[in-house]
Amino acid sequence: MTDETKKAILVVGGGMSGLSAALEAAEAGYQVVLVEKNAYVGGRVAQLHQYFPKLCPPYCGLEINFRRVKSNPRITIHTLAEVTSIEGAPGDFTVKVKVSPRYVNDKCTACGKCADAVSATIPNPFNYGLDQIKAAYLPHDLAMPLRYVIDPSIAGTDEGQKAAAACPYGAVDLGDAGQELSLNVGAVIWAAGWTPYDPSKIEYYNFDKSPNIVTNVQFERLAAVNGPTSGAIQRPGDGAAPKKVAFIQCAGSRDENHLPFCSSICCLASLKQSTYVMEKLPEAEITIYFIDIRAMDRNEDFYTKVKASNKVQFVKSKIAMITPQANGNLILEGENTATGERFKAEHDLVVLATGMQPNTALSQVPFDVTYDPYGFLTSGQAVIGVGTVRRPSEVVTCVQDGTSAALKAIQAVGR
Amino acid sequence: MDYNQTFAKEVYEKVDSGDEIKVCMQCGVCGATCPLRGEMKYGPRQIWSLIRAGRRDEVLNNPDIMLCTSCYTCQVRCPRGVPIMEVMHGLAHYALAQGIVPRAETAKFGKAFWEGIYDTGRVDEAVVPIKYCLQDGLVAGLKKSLGMMDIGLALMKAKRMKPKMFIPPNIFIPGVHKIKGVKQLQRMLDKAAAIDAAKEA
Ligand SMILES: Cc1cc2nc3c(=O)[nH]c(=O)nc-3n(C[C@H](O)[C@H](O)[C@H](O)COP(=O)(O)OP(=O)(O)OC[C@H]3O[C@@H](n4cnc5c(N)ncnc54)[C@H](O)[C@@H]3O)c2cc1C
Ligand code: SF4
Ligand code: SF4
Repeated sequence: MTDETKKAILVVGGGMSGLSAALEAAEAGYQVVLVEKNAYVGGRVAQLHQYFPKLCPPYCGLEINFRRVKSNPRITIHTLAEVTSIEGAPGDFTVKVKVSPRYVNDKCTACGKCADAVSATIPNPFNYGLDQIKAAYLPHDLAMPLRYVIDPSIAGTDEGQKAAAACPYGAVDLGDAGQELSLNVGAVIWAAGWTPYDPSKIEYYNFDKSPNIVTNVQFERLAAVNGPTSGAIQRPGDGAAPKKVAFIQCAGSRDENHLPFCSSICCLASLKQSTYVMEKLPEAEITIYFIDIRAMDRNEDFYTKVKASNKVQFVKSKIAMITPQANGNLILEGENTATGERFKAEHDLVVLATGMQPNTALSQVPFDVTYDPYGFLTSGQAVIGVGTVRRPSEVVTCVQDGTSAALKAIQAVGR
Repeated sequence: MDYNQTFAKEVYEKVDSGDEIKVCMQCGVCGATCPLRGEMKYGPRQIWSLIRAGRRDEVLNNPDIMLCTSCYTCQVRCPRGVPIMEVMHGLAHYALAQGIVPRAETAKFGKAFWEGIYDTGRVDEAVVPIKYCLQDGLVAGLKKSLGMMDIGLALMKAKRMKPKMFIPPNIFIPGVHKIKGVKQLQRMLDKAAAIDAAKEA
C-alpha cells in the first residue's frame, strides 16, 4: 500500500503526548492530521520553566520535535481547531473539525507591528492570567506556528482596523470566518491533555482572597525568563521578593471531595520549584508541606538530592487552612503528623501544588467511549487515548505512550 | 515494638462506624480543622493512631472522644471520607457502655439531654440545663447554674432560650411539653438501644 491508499491518522491535541504520537506515525510513513485547540502546539510543557529531573529548559525537547514536524511532509497541523463530531469505526471515521478564526494569515512574519498599533489588552492565557497582553499578540516567543493572533474581542472593532492598517504584509484578515473541515481518517488518537485543578474549589485555602497564593503552574511562569516578571520570583500582590515560600502538596488531589487520585507529578514539580527558589532567592526559606512525597523510580534520586541540600524544610502535614493577613502574608494551619504538634506558620508566598484533571473529565470525546470514575479514558477503545487523558503522568511517560498510541493507530488503519 | 491488633479489631467490630477509620491516611486535616483543637490533647487522627497501636485504656479514657461537638467540619473536609464525627461519638458511647466515663461533665450533659428526649420526645432548652445542673443534688446544682449564668444570659440575649421557661410551673412540670405518641417513640428508642447493646457486647 502507498500513502495515498492508506487512510490518515487524526491526532487531537498537540501537547507532548499528541506530538509524539503524530511524529511516530508520520515517521513510520502514515499521513497525520493534528488538530490543536490553542493557537500553538506544545501544550502545557511550553509553559514550564525547567524540566525535572535534569532541570533543562523544556524548549530543547520541544524544538527537536518542532524540527521533526517541519521536516515531515506527512503532518498537517490545524491550530485553533476542535473536533465537533466523530462518526464511523476504526478504519473508517468521518470527523468534523471547527477551525476558529485567527484573523492573521500565513503572510505574517511576526514583526509585531499589529501589536504596537492596538491598545486593548486581554489577560495573558500563556501566563495563566498573571499579566495582560495586547489583544493582537504572539502567544509566546517561541510559538509554533510563529504567527500572531488577533483576539476575537477586537476583530470587529476600530482596534482591529488599526492592527490591519499597521501590518506591512497584509497578513491581518479581519474577514476570516474560520472554517469547518470534514476529514476521512482511519484512526483517531485523543491527546487532549489536562487542566490544573481549580483551587478556588478548595474553599478553606482562600485562593481567591489573596494574590500571594499562586498555583504551581503560575509559579512556573513566575520563574520563566519569558514570564510576566522576566524570571524574577515576586509576590504578585506587591512585587516584593518573598522570604518564606511554602509549597502545599496535594492541593485538591488525593481528596474524595476533589480529585480522589494522586496526580503523580506535583511532588516532583514542587521539588523542582524549590530549586528555582534556591537559585533565584538564596536567602529565602523554603517549606514543603506534604502527606507523603511521591517521587517514583529514578525520580527518587531527585528527591534525595533536594533533601540533601538542606535548604528545604519538609513538614509532614496536609494543610487544613490558609488565612490571608492584612500585610499580604498567609497563615497556614495544620497538624505535623510526625510530631503531633498542631501549628500555625506564617509565609509570604504560598504555592499550591494543584493536580491534573484530565480534559476528558471537563469536555468529553464526541464519540461513544468509556471513562473511569475520574474521567480518564480507559484502554482498548475505538478512540485511542494517550498521555494525561489516560492517567496523570510526566512527560517521559507521555512520550512512551505516544509511541504506543501510534502503533495502535497504525494497526487500526491497516484493517 | 510489639504490634497488637486486638483493640483495633474490637473497634472495627463493635464501635459505631469504627471500621471506617481503616481508610484514614493520617494526613492531619481533622485535628487541625477542629474548632476544639486547642482543647483536645490528641484529636481524631492521633486517636486513630492510638487505636492502631492497641492503646485501649488511653483511647477509652480520653476526654477528646467526648469533646466532639458534632460540628462536622472535619468530616466534610476529610480527604478520605472518614465519618470522623460518627466514630468519635461511637467511641464515647462504647466507652460508657464499658463503664468508662471519659469526661464526666459531657456524660452528665448527655444524660440530661437524652432523658429529656426520652421522657418528652423533644429537646427543651430549659429542661436540659436544669436536669444537667441538678444531677449532683440541689446545692451543687445551684452552684453550677450560678457558675453558668453568663452562658445562660448570652443564650437569652441571642433568643436561644426564653426566660419564661424558668418560671414555675414550667420548670416543675416538664410533662406539659410531651409530644403525641411519646410511648411509641420510647419503644423505638428501647429497641435501638437493644440493637446497640448487642453490637457492643
Ligand atoms: C507545575 C507542573 C510542573 C511540571 N513539570 C514537569 C517537568 O518538569 N517534567 C515533566 O516531565 N513533566 C512535568 N509536568 C507534567 C507535564 O506538564 C505533563 O506531563 C504534560 O503536559 C502532558 O502532556 P500532554 O500532551 O498529555 O498534555 P498537555 O500538555 O495538556 O497538551 C494537550 C494539548 O491538547 C490541546 N487540547 C486540549 N483539548 C483539546 C481539544 N478538545 N481539541 C484539540 N486540542 C485540545 C491543548 O491545547 C494542549 O495543547 C509538570 C506539571 C505541572 C502541573
Ligand atoms: S504527586 Fe505528591 S502532591 Fe501530587 S497528588 Fe501525589 S502525593 Fe499529592
Ligand atoms: S482528615 Fe481523614 S484522612 Fe486525614 S487524618 Fe483525619 S481521618 Fe485521617
